[in-house]
Amino acid sequence: MSRSLKKGPYIDTKLMKKISALIDSGEKKIIKTWARNSMIPPEFVGFTIAIHNGNRFIPVYITERMVGHKLGEFSPSRIFRAHSRTRKEEKKRVFEK
Amino acid sequence: MARISGVDLPPNKKVEYGLTAIYGIGLHTAHKIVHTIGIDPVKKIKDLSDEDIMRIRKLIEAEYKVEGALRAEIAVDVKRLIDIGSYRGSRHKVGLPARGQRTRTNARTRKGRKKTVARKAGPGGKK
Repeated sequence: MSRSLKKGPYIDTKLMKKISALIDSGEKKIIKTWARNSMIPPEFVGFTIAIHNGNRFIPVYITERMVGHKLGEFSPSRIFRAHSRTRKEEKKRVFEK
Repeated sequence: MARISGVDLPPNKKVEYGLTAIYGIGLHTAHKIVHTIGIDPVKKIKDLSDEDIMRIRKLIEAEYKVEGALRAEIAVDVKRLIDIGSYRGSRHKVGLPARGQRTRTNARTRKGRKKTVARKAGPGGKK
């Protein structure tokens, strides 16, 4: 179920405060955060945010097209392991792309 | 032969169901189209007059995104997800479900036909 529109988007208040401070001072610093569930508002665009993935902080440069997504989407918390591929399968995958 | 937005409609089906042969038109939209134009729902596609076909064609062109245009839109949306490096994009890239479904079993729509892996021989493998 999607979030109620009445409430508006969820944006981590502390992170927002830090970003506003950076906007006011005009400098660009990497901010570390654990707020993976925070939505990306337009104000974040142009900043690099280090998003925790449970192990380490992944620096993510926020672009315009990321607005409306949540921070956690850009900091994978699982390692994807696949079975080794045979040559044939490998070729097929390249072709599909 | 009724040809709407580049698709030949099956002549022996009722209009409502025949319209679903067009990519982007499901039963719901087909139902709506039939009602707004006011075609007898029991009518088959082959019994449609040229005028009716023309009206359906116009309505679809004006109101709905179908076939190539729809496919292109979806491709652009998916490409955006991949380009911004989001989790959903990475799932699209590896061809797995993107909305948190389980993949231990099922997920065959995304993963394709079942690929059986040979059982390990020797004491390590199951009997």
